[in-house]
Amino acid sequence: MNKLGKQTIKFDNPPTISQTASIVGPKEAQGPMAKYFDQCLEDEFWGEKTWEKAESKIIKETTNMVIAKSGIASNEIDFCFAGDLLNQCISSSFGLREINIPFFGVFGACSTFVESMCLGSICIESGCAKNVICATSSHFCSAEKQFRFPLELGNQRPPTSQWTVTGSGAVILSASGQGPFITHATPGKIVDMGIKDANNMRCCNGPCSL
Amino acid sequence: MDNPLDTQEKYSKYVDKKSPNSPILKNCFNAFWVGGLICSIGQIIANFCKYQGMEQQSANTVVSIILIGLAAFLTGLNIFNKIGKFAGAGSLIPITGFANSIVSPAIEYKSEGYVMGVGGKMFTVAGPVLVFGISASVIIGIIATFFVGG
Repeated sequence: MNKLGKQTIKFDNPPTISQTASIVGPKEAQGPMAKYFDQCLEDEFWGEKTWEKAESKIIKETTNMVIAKSGIASNEIDFCFAGDLLNQCISSSFGLREINIPFFGVFGACSTFVESMCLGSICIESGCAKNVICATSSHFCSAEKQFRFPLELGNQRPPTSQWTVTGSGAVILSASGQGPFITHATPGKIVDMGIKDANNMRCCNGPCSL
Repeated sequence: MDNPLDTQEKYSKYVDKKSPNSPILKNCFNAFWVGGLICSIGQIIANFCKYQGMEQQSANTVVSIILIGLAAFLTGLNIFNKIGKFAGAGSLIPITGFANSIVSPAIEYKSEGYVMGVGGKMFTVAGPVLVFGISASVIIGIIATFFVGG
């Protein structure tokens, strides 16, 4: 593992994505990518009383699913990197409290998942882990509640507003396997171009990726 | 080539140019007729009350009560937000919008309990209106009392 250029990490023994799992909400299930998800939910509560609990359940079931699919015993997974959008990352910390794997809470908003995979890869490459699990979740309703307005409020969404995904994704990264491999990681810098519109997240994010 | 990422001002202009605008004409039209309809319903109720022999002031109160009740009820049924998405200010500016702005956080935060959730968060949207509305009315009241001889 060494550094290339200004901000890229090159992995000598690239970690492999050995298993993936995803669970999404009803709106995502209507989209063109529905057939690629492992499970599509019919309602946003999924039998829970609050959206936060529903989000916790989604990330919990997704990580359970990825472990089950991989066939790797959960005590052979060394670390867990996970995060979500809510304050104190409550969805992942409550959702994953029973998973019993050492836990790193990660927050990068839209980049949480990729950030956790970068950190997981570094962890594997350093030799201190054979398998790590990386997961993230978000929920449209809990995100709207925390960051914008109550759902029942009769306000208009501008054409530039985005829709937070209801769902969760999880991967298991392993030191050896068939691939796909993570060969490099390039973390971005914080770029603030002064956009203040809470409904126009893409214009905020855009400059970071250039 | 001019790079919009050079400065914040350039980027802000670039974003304004590239992002689609709200359909203002359509929104105004919908707001106009829905808002008008709500006000007409209010007027019909007021006229009906007066026809039944009620005073003007009592009739106005009855109109407010009915419209607030109706808006709160429709908010609870998840219908008012659909009207609001369609009509915008048309349903937001009349008293119906105020009712919606109090009932919707109450529903949203019910999951956090009745005291800290419903009680504490009920005014997150309407709070500024209440604070500045009541403050303004107090100031106007003081001015009226001392200078107009109210």
